[in-house]
Amino acid sequence: MSRITLDTVRKEFGSGGDKILAVEDVDLEIRDGEFLVLVGPSGCGKTTTLRCVAGLEDVTSGRITFGDRDVTGLRARERDVAMVFQNYALYPHMDVRRNLGFGLKLSTKLPAAEIDQQVEDVAEMLGIEELLGQKPKELSGGQQQRVALGRAIIRDPEAFLMDEPLSNLDAKLRSQMRTELQTLQHELDVTTVYVTHDQTEAMAMGDRIAVMNGGTLQQVGTAEEVYRDPVNEFVADFIGSPSINVFDATVDGARLDGPGEFSYHLSETDPVEGLRTVRVGIRPEDIQLVDNGIKLGVNVLEPMGNENFLYATLGEQEVTARIDPTNRPHPGESVSFAFDEAALYLFDPETGASLKTKRDGEVPTTPDSIPNREGVESTTGTGPDTGSNDDRMEETVE
Amino acid sequence: MATRDSLPGPDPSVRDRLRFARQSVGELVPTPGEGIVGYVFLLPAFVLFGVFLAFPIVYTFYLSFFRFNGVGNDTLLWIDTGFLTYRLTSIADLEFVGLANYAAMFSDSLFHQALFNTTFILVVQVPIMVALALLFAVALDASFVRLRGLFRTVLALPVSANLVAYSTVFLLMMQDAGLVNYLLTSVGLPAIPWLTSSFWSRMTIVGAVTWRWTGYNMIILLAGLQNIPQQLYEAAEIDGATRIQKFRYVTVPQLRPVLLFVFVTSTIGTFKLFSEPVIINGGGAPLDSTITIVQYIYQAAFIDFRLGYASALTYVLIAIVSVLSAIQLNVGGESDA
Repeated sequence: MSRITLDTVRKEFGSGGDKILAVEDVDLEIRDGEFLVLVGPSGCGKTTTLRCVAGLEDVTSGRITFGDRDVTGLRARERDVAMVFQNYALYPHMDVRRNLGFGLKLSTKLPAAEIDQQVEDVAEMLGIEELLGQKPKELSGGQQQRVALGRAIIRDPEAFLMDEPLSNLDAKLRSQMRTELQTLQHELDVTTVYVTHDQTEAMAMGDRIAVMNGGTLQQVGTAEEVYRDPVNEFVADFIGSPSINVFDATVDGARLDGPGEFSYHLSETDPVEGLRTVRVGIRPEDIQLVDNGIKLGVNVLEPMGNENFLYATLGEQEVTARIDPTNRPHPGESVSFAFDEAALYLFDPETGASLKTKRDGEVPTTPDSIPNREGVESTTGTGPDTGSNDDRMEETVE
Repeated sequence: MATRDSLPGPDPSVRDRLRFARQSVGELVPTPGEGIVGYVFLLPAFVLFGVFLAFPIVYTFYLSFFRFNGVGNDTLLWIDTGFLTYRLTSIADLEFVGLANYAAMFSDSLFHQALFNTTFILVVQVPIMVALALLFAVALDASFVRLRGLFRTVLALPVSANLVAYSTVFLLMMQDAGLVNYLLTSVGLPAIPWLTSSFWSRMTIVGAVTWRWTGYNMIILLAGLQNIPQQLYEAAEIDGATRIQKFRYVTVPQLRPVLLFVFVTSTIGTFKLFSEPVIINGGGAPLDSTITIVQYIYQAAFIDFRLGYASALTYVLIAIVSVLSAIQLNVGGESDA
């Protein structure tokens, strides 16, 4: 169990002309015992970053340390990490007992009886005692998942590295395992790096979330932080389901003119000072249907039971809104909406950097709930315009 | 057709018309599985199989209980249509001897010698070849090897070499004053009687067969290696396995079915060894020390015309190969990889 530090880690594949930059100078500190989720779209470099931490890939430049131990040049087997693979990678020719005990057999000098005891203990912990004699192919996806977890746990490693471990499970099992994994990680208190492309999973599981895009780290923060206070439009768009509505608007003093009838008077004009256009973002849940407001043409209504998803058009712009389940506008109808300025996001049209983020219903941050809060400065990643972000951070802390 | 013609839109092009015609022809062909159509399609294969495989297999077994006295002349069937006369004669003039052919083997010292020679070559050659093939396959599979395609082709080339040609080259190289002995003596080693000592002449055969078949088996093993998921090696690496442990705990168990295939087919192939000893060592020289079972069967059947005895020998060979294969399958296949 230890702190994991990535210091300007860079990973390039290939050489010469067809070099691919997979990870670009990532700085990241994963605290002792923390559950950190690396999230991003496919090809964003999250898995490569994890594999660099595991030692399955060499870094092109930069340093990786576990605690005070520099592991950059060490092979995976010398790093004392355990990994759970997306397709589990259980040894097909070994039964569950041997799969679980294999790591101990190779990496420790424990007597066979002791290994067997530990295998039994882990199997009991995961509720797979009755599967010990079976081969992986005789197990269901969920059972294989547990064996893969057990294989990681039994090693009592410095860190757990998990590469989309739940993505091969069906939706119901996935949410069940999600909770179980969190509980387990809490009990074991092992530093964990978890890779997923699923932002819901990231939000639900991570102590902190590291959002990556195009090989660069965009932002690191708690679920609340990356949702309410994203550093740029990419993070705002990636985090949250359904996605935030973002469109262009022209700035005329305090007035924003967007697609269709969208027109809004800002009471606070500082964020758009000196800009001619701005990107406006409104979360689907911040759209309130009102009698008099900005007109929307209804396309589709998806009833979810507890709420309805409204898909509509604002001029040429697609807009999604989460509305009350009792409210059922029909396709083709026209509705009006309004929103709180506090809930509004504004992004720089050139850089995508956040100019203004969500300020409504501020939840006071409780420092105790997050381990080692002293590292607040690391919550903003390499995203552009970190200066203005820090300013807002001070506002938040007040 | 009516629905197609009534479809709105532009007139069908020539290609469309051709497609319609093809489709309507397709509809005329009955679906196999209904009635005898399926069997009609299978008939050519059945006929060829029956005449050239099934019949010889059965007839050889039948022959093994008889003594062959010459080509048959007895009439089995006679049909006189008035204009033409059909007469079916027996294939051979046979004399029933019961199990005498099988019994004769127990006292046939040349058969014992052939059996010993073949077994000797098998025991030495198959392990060497499989080990070499595996070594080459693992080397070629390693990520750092360049020109992989070239090496693979060069190593697999011997299998396409002409049997007579390559055997002749071996014969020339292994002469007392041949290339191999020249090289040996030029580095100060004694010359080896490759073709005149009974031990070394068998080793020459081992070398020739190994040279020819290693590349072929390497290709099969390489295909097996490339089928092993990379993640298993990564999982083993994370679990703390060294390179050798990965080979021992991942590669070998994963390759087990392929290795088994290679062992069984090589064993069968070596037991059927014929051309190399015939060309390199002539008739099993020196002193019958390289005569193989198949060579002995050939001699019995087509030189001595003891067809019944040769058939019995053939069935004994089949029995030996079957037992060996069964043992290999049982030993190697007990764990499902």
